[in-house]
Amino acid sequence: MPGTDRLVELERVSKSYPAGFWRRRVGILSELSFSVGKNEIVGFLGPNGAGKTTTIKILNHLAIPDSGKVRVFGEEAGQSPEIRRRIGFMPEQPYFYEYLTGGEFLRLCGHLYGMGRGEMNRSVGEMLGRLGLAGAGGKTIRKYSKGMMQRLGLAQALLHDPELVILDEPMSGLDPMGRMEVRNLIRDLKTAGKTVLFSSHIVSDVEALCDRVVMIDRGKKVAEGSLEELVGGGGVQYVELVFSPVPSPARLAAVSLPPDAGSVLGDAYVVKAHDTEEANRLIPRFREAGALVRSCYPVKKRLEDIYMERVARGDGRERAVPPVGS
Amino acid sequence: MPDRILSIAANTFRETIRNKIMYAILAFALLVIGLSYFLADLSVGELTRIIVDVGLACIHFFGVIVAVFIGITLVNQEMERRTVYLILSKPVRRWEFVVGKAAGLSGTLALIVLVMAVVLFLVHRAYGGRPEAGIFIASAGIYMELVLLICLASLFSTFTTPVLSAIFTIAMFLVGHVSKDLLFFGGRSDVPAVRWLSEGVFYALPNLENFNWKNEVVYGKLRSAGVLLNAGSYLVFYGGAVLLLACLLFARKDFK
Ligand SMILES: Nc1ncnc2c1ncn2[C@@H]1O[C@H](COP(=O)(O)OP(=O)(O)OP(=O)(O)O)[C@@H](O)[C@H]1O
Ligand SMILES: [Mg+2]
Repeated sequence: MPGTDRLVELERVSKSYPAGFWRRRVGILSELSFSVGKNEIVGFLGPNGAGKTTTIKILNHLAIPDSGKVRVFGEEAGQSPEIRRRIGFMPEQPYFYEYLTGGEFLRLCGHLYGMGRGEMNRSVGEMLGRLGLAGAGGKTIRKYSKGMMQRLGLAQALLHDPELVILDEPMSGLDPMGRMEVRNLIRDLKTAGKTVLFSSHIVSDVEALCDRVVMIDRGKKVAEGSLEELVGGGGVQYVELVFSPVPSPARLAAVSLPPDAGSVLGDAYVVKAHDTEEANRLIPRFREAGALVRSCYPVKKRLEDIYMERVARGDGRERAVPPVGS
Repeated sequence: MPDRILSIAANTFRETIRNKIMYAILAFALLVIGLSYFLADLSVGELTRIIVDVGLACIHFFGVIVAVFIGITLVNQEMERRTVYLILSKPVRRWEFVVGKAAGLSGTLALIVLVMAVVLFLVHRAYGGRPEAGIFIASAGIYMELVLLICLASLFSTFTTPVLSAIFTIAMFLVGHVSKDLLFFGGRSDVPAVRWLSEGVFYALPNLENFNWKNEVVYGKLRSAGVLLNAGSYLVFYGGAVLLLACLLFARKDFK
């Protein structure tokens, strides 16, 4: 359940960067508002260049907004280092001091978090194990693979058992196994009472994990809400019916389907009905045409469809590269 | 010093001593100090005196190279490679990062200058010189100058690119050794505005000649404790002001 107390609150946050020769300011975020409640997993979705990383940097006081309010744990972001002790942050494609070993780096982080020696050593070992780096703790980071760096990035964010975890594209660069592990890790965090905000453009990861979704495009929020709220109306998009054998054109005409509702697929005829009522009306008519129903399947509307609706088709704009979602 | 500054300083020190380029520069410097005998052979004058002379110049020269190199690469690199995100998102204040970096780099320079000074001391002895404590006193002056350069490099790193930071730092080094002459010539002008200007510029620019005791050592006139103290307080005040400015700029910085 989304808690009443909000750990993260953005209120009409705008940010611009100077660009080009004349240093004209180009808007990156405009009046962005959203919040993250206690013990929620919130997915932050948006295409490349939408402003996800910029927003996350603002939350960590690495970038400073032009206007608007940013509160984390009820305090203005970046005001006190004590607040940052309660946050775990993994930047996008984290880069480390490559002359250190993984273990040395985590111990440096432990010192900066102000952890005691005993607590730190226990936690470093535990984190290395939990992220599949147990054998790599003594290896210099220079020799790490991309996925290992990503895992180390997660380890340093979770080392001090933070209440709020902010991850910028935690799954990027991971193999399917690794992605699964990270999903489980995020679920475990929720079970342990933590709050997670993570960005991604992999819609299925967000769909599988999140209580709520915040979707942005070109610095503006285009959707916010729980999955049910976004998908709406039980979420059934259409009902797919498969008939065989394929009726002859003449008999098919007698069924009087709406145009584009049916198509031939191999030796079967596939029909998209609006809902189950329509499907039930169609089945006897096809039986009269000599075709029997072989399967009837309600196709759910997925987050990806919402994403396509709100992002890719927004403002009639065309994108050279469609957003990835698989 | 809070633990966090100490951790950052220790990590910075560790980074430099694991850097192979540093060893290359140091090895080359030691080679040149060792070979000063051959350089001396070409010159006239007392052999051991010239070994000290050339050796101290060598410590100075290579010290500046190392200071500029590590000062620029380390501070700028943190921002370019975005390792700074990982540090500043932890409970670390921004000024603690700047001070920790500068402290770590000063530690590295102390080690390097000490190694070069010891080698020079031994080379000088090997060629029959008397034990010369002045080598260490002059090296201490060089070290203070290098620390000041580190503070300047940190300042430039907060707002410009590595190449420009290097150029600015080297420019400060060059100007810092002639700023007194600037004051001298400016002070002789008949136009009051020029005199005030030259005085203003003199106090704004570093006066690195404050730390230069090489000649006195070579000619056997050791500096008094008062002069050392004077140089030390100059370092504390000027270097402190530069570092303070660096911290103020860094505190407002928006990371790319
Ligand atoms: N330091 C900067 N200076 C100028 N423009 C910037 C800067 N950082 C980001 N931008 C611009 O801001 C926009 C948003 O960038 P941001 O990195 O926040 O996107 P993102 O949503 O994280 O994208 P991705 O999914 O590719 O990581 C982009 O158009 C980018 O070019
Ligand atoms: Mg990003």
